[in-house]
Amino acid sequence: MIKLVKKDLKLFFGNKQDMLLTFALPIIFITLFAYVFRETNNSEEGDLVSLVHAVAGTSVFMLLFSVAGIGGSLLDEKQEGILKKLLCAPIPSDHILFGKLLFANIISIIQLIIMFVYGWLVFGLDIMHHLPSLIFMIFAIAFACSGFGVVLASFAKTRQQVQGFSSIIVLVMSGLGGSMIPLFVMPEIMQKIAVFTVNYWGIKGIYDIFWKLVPLTDSTFLSKVFVLLCIGFFLNFIALLMFRRNILKMV
Amino acid sequence: MISVSNLKKTFDTIEALKGISFYIPQGECYGLLGPNGAGKTTTISILSTIIKPDVGEVIISGYDPKKNPLDCKKNIGVVTQEIALYNEFSAYDNLLFWGVMYKIPKKVLTARTDETLDLLGLTDRKNDKVKTYSGGMKRRINIGTALLHRPKILFMDEPTVGIDPQSRNLIFEVVEKLHKEGITIIYTTHYMEEAERLCDRIGIMDNGEIIAQGTLDELRTLGSTKESVVISYTNLTDKLYNTIEKEWKDLQRFEDTIHFYSMNIQGDLSKIIIMCNEFGLDIRHIDIQKINLETVFLSLTGKKLRDK
Repeated sequence: MIKLVKKDLKLFFGNKQDMLLTFALPIIFITLFAYVFRETNNSEEGDLVSLVHAVAGTSVFMLLFSVAGIGGSLLDEKQEGILKKLLCAPIPSDHILFGKLLFANIISIIQLIIMFVYGWLVFGLDIMHHLPSLIFMIFAIAFACSGFGVVLASFAKTRQQVQGFSSIIVLVMSGLGGSMIPLFVMPEIMQKIAVFTVNYWGIKGIYDIFWKLVPLTDSTFLSKVFVLLCIGFFLNFIALLMFRRNILKMV
Repeated sequence: MISVSNLKKTFDTIEALKGISFYIPQGECYGLLGPNGAGKTTTISILSTIIKPDVGEVIISGYDPKKNPLDCKKNIGVVTQEIALYNEFSAYDNLLFWGVMYKIPKKVLTARTDETLDLLGLTDRKNDKVKTYSGGMKRRINIGTALLHRPKILFMDEPTVGIDPQSRNLIFEVVEKLHKEGITIIYTTHYMEEAERLCDRIGIMDNGEIIAQGTLDELRTLGSTKESVVISYTNLTDKLYNTIEKEWKDLQRFEDTIHFYSMNIQGDLSKIIIMCNEFGLDIRHIDIQKINLETVFLSLTGKKLRDK
């Protein structure tokens, strides 16, 4: 499984386009959102909230696109016959999926770290004083999102279909979940719907760290980590079922 | 070495395999010949443990793929019909990756990768990315990835599709070398000349069934196929044709040729030529049509092996 992850990492870091979309594009979005939201607030607290929202909203939003792409790579491998050949090798077939999920987790964690470090270096987001909480939250968000791409891939037959599905689903989830419009300005009914999205729990968790300054041990914060982990387990479980049921049968 | 008994597989409403059976002893090269959709790839996929049969038994090197898939996989190498390579990796890195998938120790793998590249004639291009290779070179590397773990059994699913004659000949040489080394090979193709050249025995598949199997000589005796002498002429009149027909009953007239059919063409060839000369037929060209797999297939199924 580790060898499969190494191979995926080597392919990923050898592809400039993937690197650009995964690491550079979110930075552009953070910059854009940070300035746009800042313009709508005049107070010092308003500035902080705008910045936290720009980083939190963009990070989950962009992460979902990245993992959808990783799920799509499974379909590429299927179309190219590589998945078939991997299934002929003496490795358990589930390892192919777990390798992909681990790879998705690694890329997600790197992407989130880059976004928060950028927020710190360019906009002065105080990540150093909240490092333990932030590490917890980064792992939880990455884990929650990693299964999403594979679940999407298992419903599609080609990467093009995944791209189509993912654009719609990510945009809808991000719109409802608070990535585009801050949750606190949403009407109450929208905030209730938002709880069904990954974005909501990720963004709320990041609010807790940087805006509400909730300590790591506080149950409010831990409950969000817990929900994200549950979403992660659920999506990964569904991904495994769908991988066995759909993707392997399509080979 | 490979035993297949009453293998059946249905995909939705399509009966891909309708109860095929065959046995392949160790060291034999067995050809599965048939048109597209005959069931060759489904057979290989079941033997490679990728898909499970609905009915039937398979034993590979003493293992049942349903019960011991990993033991089976260690003994087999699979050359897929698709060129399953990472285009962004070099040939060397592709071979290393697939070697690692088969858990070959690093030192052994490095040596085997070099040997394999040498066997495939690609040592000088080993560090180039696969995306810069021709189709034939990619096919060769595709074969190489299945050889690194030294399998006892090799499944080759149409390994020469869409490649240049030079690469095809090199692949034939590789297959022949592996065969001499005692590797059991199942080779699927719809090119009869490949099956004739490479295989000890051939199974002819059509519509999910093996309709005939045996050595090339055994297959030649099947069906109602006869050899023929084809004579091209310049001056055949109806009267002359009737005269010849009285002497040689089993013949057929086409636009500018006559086909003389015989069960012993070598013995009858001179008789036919002397007869034609005696009757004053002006012979322009003589051709002998021997029985090959194409004609056997046509005789058994009533259709051609592949569209020309």
